[in-house]
This record gives sequence, C-alpha cells and structure tokens, in this order.
Amino acid sequence: MKKYERITAIITSLGGVWIMYYAWHTLKLGSIHIPDAGLLPFLCGVGLAVLGIIWLLVLQQTKGEDKGAAEKRIWYRPVISLVLMVLYGWAMESVGYITSTLIFVIAWQKVIEHEKWLKTMIIALLGTFAMYALFVSLLKVPIPPEFFAR
Amino acid sequence: MDIFTGLINGFSIALTGTNILFCFLGAFIGTAIGVLPGLGPAATIALLLPMTYIIGSPVTAIIMLAGIYYGAMYGGSTTSILLNLPGEAASVVTCIDGYQMARKGRAGAALGIAAIGSFIAGTVAVVGLTFFAPPLAEFALDFGPPEYFALTTLGLLLAVTLSGGSITKGLIILIVGLLLAMVGLDPISGKIRFTFGSIGLQGGFDFVTLAMGVFGLGEILYNLESTLKTEIVTTKLGKLFPTLKDWADSKWAIFRGSVIGFFIGIIPGGGAVISSLASYAVEKKYSKHPEEFGKGAIEGVAGPESANNAASSSSFIPLLTLGIPGNAAIAMIFAALMIQGITPGPFLVVEHPDVFWGVIASMYIGNVMLLVLNLPMVGIWVQMLRVPYGILAPIIVLFTTIGVYSVQNQVFDIYSMLFFAALGYGMRKLDFNPAPLPLAFVLGPMVERSLRQSLLISGGDLTIFVSRPISGTLVAIFVLLVVGQTAFFIKRKMRGKKTAAT
Repeated sequence: MKKYERITAIITSLGGVWIMYYAWHTLKLGSIHIPDAGLLPFLCGVGLAVLGIIWLLVLQQTKGEDKGAAEKRIWYRPVISLVLMVLYGWAMESVGYITSTLIFVIAWQKVIEHEKWLKTMIIALLGTFAMYALFVSLLKVPIPPEFFAR
Repeated sequence: MDIFTGLINGFSIALTGTNILFCFLGAFIGTAIGVLPGLGPAATIALLLPMTYIIGSPVTAIIMLAGIYYGAMYGGSTTSILLNLPGEAASVVTCIDGYQMARKGRAGAALGIAAIGSFIAGTVAVVGLTFFAPPLAEFALDFGPPEYFALTTLGLLLAVTLSGGSITKGLIILIVGLLLAMVGLDPISGKIRFTFGSIGLQGGFDFVTLAMGVFGLGEILYNLESTLKTEIVTTKLGKLFPTLKDWADSKWAIFRGSVIGFFIGIIPGGGAVISSLASYAVEKKYSKHPEEFGKGAIEGVAGPESANNAASSSSFIPLLTLGIPGNAAIAMIFAALMIQGITPGPFLVVEHPDVFWGVIASMYIGNVMLLVLNLPMVGIWVQMLRVPYGILAPIIVLFTTIGVYSVQNQVFDIYSMLFFAALGYGMRKLDFNPAPLPLAFVLGPMVERSLRQSLLISGGDLTIFVSRPISGTLVAIFVLLVVGQTAFFIKRKMRGKKTAAT
C-alpha cells in the first residue's frame, strides 16, 4: 500500500503545481485589493504541492507496516462493478431504462455475485419492477424512454 | 417571536399528518441503516437527497432527513451489541461492553439501556437546541465577510483535526473539496474555471452527485472487496427493560453522556463519533470499578449511546444558526436546504421560522417514535441483517442511479457520480477520511466569497481579519490550534526518536 501512497503523494504535489500554473496563467490572480478568480485556486495549489511533499516525507520516515493484511480483499469486484455502472449509464440512454436496468442487474448477479440463473432472474425482475413502481409510477420521475418506444 | 411561541408554532407544523408520516419514515429508515453495517447516515441522506426535490416542502424534507440522522444513532447500537459489528461509526465503542453483555445473556438489557439512554440524551439535546439556537442566531446577525471567513476556515480546520486519521491527508481532502466547489462559473468575475471545455461542467458539480458517489457508491465499491459474510444472529435477547440495578448503574452515565455529547456536537468536526469515544473514556476514568470495562459494564453502553444521540441533535445548532455544517451528514442536510432554496444561517429563524421551529419540534416527536421503534421492534431489526449484501448492493446502485438522474434528467450526472464513486473508493483504499470533502465542498463558495469580499472592503488590508473582535478571536483560536498541533507533532517525533535511540 505504501507504494501506491507514494505515487498518490507525488501526483498530489504535481497536481498542486499544475493548479498554481493554471490559476496564475489562465484565471489570473488579480491584486490583493481586487482579487481575481485565480487567487483561491492558486492558494489551494500551493497547499496541495506542499502537503504532497509532507506526505511523501512522512511516508519515508514510517517504516514498513502494511495495513489490511488481516482480511483477504478481492480488488477486481469493485473494478468490474464500476465498469458495469458506466455501461449501465450509457445503456440507459441507448436502450431505455427498463431494458438497461434488467440487463444491469442480471450482469451484476452473474458476474459479481456468481448467482444461479433462477435467483438472478427473480432479483432482476423484482428490482426493476420495484424501482419503476417507486420512481416512475409513484414519484413521477421522467426516465429515458425505451428504444422501441421512440 | 420568543422561544415558547416559536416552539408551539413548530409543534403545530410538525404535528400535521404529512410531517408526522415523514418524521416516522426518517426515523424508520435511520434505524434500518443504523442496524445495517456498511451504510452510514451520511450515505443514506446522500442517497435520499433527490427525493427532497420531489417532496417539495422544505420542512417535510428536512424533518425526514433529520430523522434519518438521529435515527441511525439509535439503530447503530443493535449490531454492535448483538454481533460485535458497528452499524455505523458512532457505535464502534458500544461493541466493547455491549457485545460482552450479549455474551453473558444480557443483550436485552444492553439494547434497552441503549434505547432509553438515547431517548433521554436526544431529548435533553433538543431542549438545549431549543434554548441555545435562537440567541446564537441573533448574535450571528452581526457577522460580516471577515467573520464568516474566519469561522468557515476554523470550522474546516476543526473538521480535519477532530475527524480522526492523518491531518496531512485530511488537509489534502479539504483542499480537493474546495477545488471541486470552484469548478464552473466564478460568481464574482464570471470566468469559467476547471471545466476543460466541458459544457456539462460549466454549472459546476452538483452536490447530490458528489455525496451519492463518495458516500453511497464509494462505500459499496469498498464493501464489495470484502470477503467477510454477515454472521447469522443467534444471540438470545432476554428481558429488554433494564433492572433497577442497571438503571442505578447507568443513570449518571446517561447524564454525563448527554452533556458531553451536546457540547462536542456543537463543535464543527465533533459530532457523534468523537462524543461516544469521549464519553466512554470519561465513564471508564470515573467508574468505581474500571476493571469491569471491556467485560460487559452497562455504563460502557449507556454513556456512549447517550452521547452520540445528544451530539447528533446538537450538531444542528451550527447549521441552523451560523449556516456551518459540522460533519458530513449535516453537510447533506445543508445541501438539502439549499436545494429547497433556503440558505441556512442566522436569518433562517427570521425568514423561515416554519423550517427552524418545525424541524426542532419534529425532533421531540422523532425521539418518542424512535423509542417505540427500537424497544419492542428490536427483533424485527435483527432479522433485517439476514438480507444478503449481494442483493442489497445492486438495489442501492439502481436507487442511486435513477435518483441522481431524476435531479436534472441528464446522464451526465450519472457519470459525475461514478467519477466521485471512484474517488471515494480510492480514498478508502488509501486510508483517507472522506468526511471533510462534503464540508469543504458546501463551504467552499462561502470561504471564497467572504475572503474576496473582505479584501475588497478593506482595500487589500489583511488586518481586517484580526482587527474586528469576533473574527480576531476566531483567528486567534485558529492560530492556537495550528501552533498546538505543530508542537504536538514535533514532540511526538522527538519522543519517537528518543525511544528509537535507547
């Protein structure tokens, strides 16, 4: 984990320097009498650059322990679920709410949870129906129309 | 309007059919999410923010969200006591003695004293809120831009130092929150900032997408990594009402917890978590039998559970009087008020007395509802833990997605939310506490506006922040805090080096 923390600390510092440049060059700082849109972003950039370095120094001084080793964690499940969510957002506009929601829940149950088909279909149908009933029928939220309804 | 007239008006608003229903709904949902580990009150309020658009009435919406917040404190104790698994962060300390009591067959007494203590403390804190908030709001009417700048920066610094974890990381998150708030149109100069040519970003990020992403989906993504399964509850509850001896042992713990919680809740960054830890420490220190702590001492349950409830009610004081949210959940309620076109702050009591007094009065009613919900219905809440996370997680994802879409009917908001979900997940992986992020995001515009206005008023003279009595005092506290923290850090380093040398 320390390796990732080091990389993030460096990115934080470099990000801070870039924000300073952007605030100074593009947004303009103005003067102390009439501050412009870049003043607070510039100060934030300075803060990030300095804090990134401090974080890096703290990491150099603390030796070795790796947190979270006690419990086995499966890193690919959040990554896959995030990809599924992005696809769901895209599909919602392309094929409509009901179809995309059904496909999303089926994909989730099969890929993330490795559920059996029967349970998957029951959860997908009930979940989609419940959301539709709550948001569309009860709360009158406008949803993207179905592909075949256009 | 004096306090009593205001309160009577508040009750006339809170006791209407719709408001009673939404108060019950808030208390019910709050208890449910308090019971379920992995979804805290901040996340739930974030998930329900889009509903406030639909509810329409600001009083009703805030009554429901407030109910969720203090309801979660009641529900949080259930899993701590029965499973040694805190339903939410403020109940972590309840695990220590609550679970030991359950192992000795006294789960019912622990749950009972937690609910009764929560009720007493919650009511005490609402009485405090009733009498404390109006004079504070009147005092805050004299605040100008320098006072607001000093207050918001002090509040943010306190939120970082008190919310636990690394201060460096807390400050980084704070700055990231400020920067995210700057995306879009600068309200003073009209310049576009940090949009990188995206039209969708010109209006800035919506708070709902940030809150739902970081707290709702971010938490789900992190929980998906876990291989731990929820234990099936087999503990027998036993008698729910504490015995006379239990009551005698815990009455002072409840009283002290109420007072500690009330005052810690007012401090920005304080809130329910710190108050429960402080209460436990105080109870152990002043107990006649400290050796029993950790082995099932009832004071170890009564004190912290009272404290976290008192803190959850008193944390409304800075929000309703100064417009400063002290913790992540209150920041969500701040956003809900803004969504309804109401600016929280000293003018709230004058301009929207219905919201101010209606919400306060609803807390009295909500506390009674929660006592009824938590004592006889504890068995039902426990059954809820049997719902597998594999079903709960996709349902929450569906809920957040359609919820965030409903705000502006655009898919761009879903992508924004997913960006924040990835950010929230990354923050948890790298051991960042996300609490300062929503605070900085909602206070960011106020910080910038008050800074620039102060400099414009003074013609660039920075002494404006120290020459006025209120802002000067706040700046002095800020400086003391920074110096104190730095001295503490250096001292700790020196001690560490000495230990290493010997």
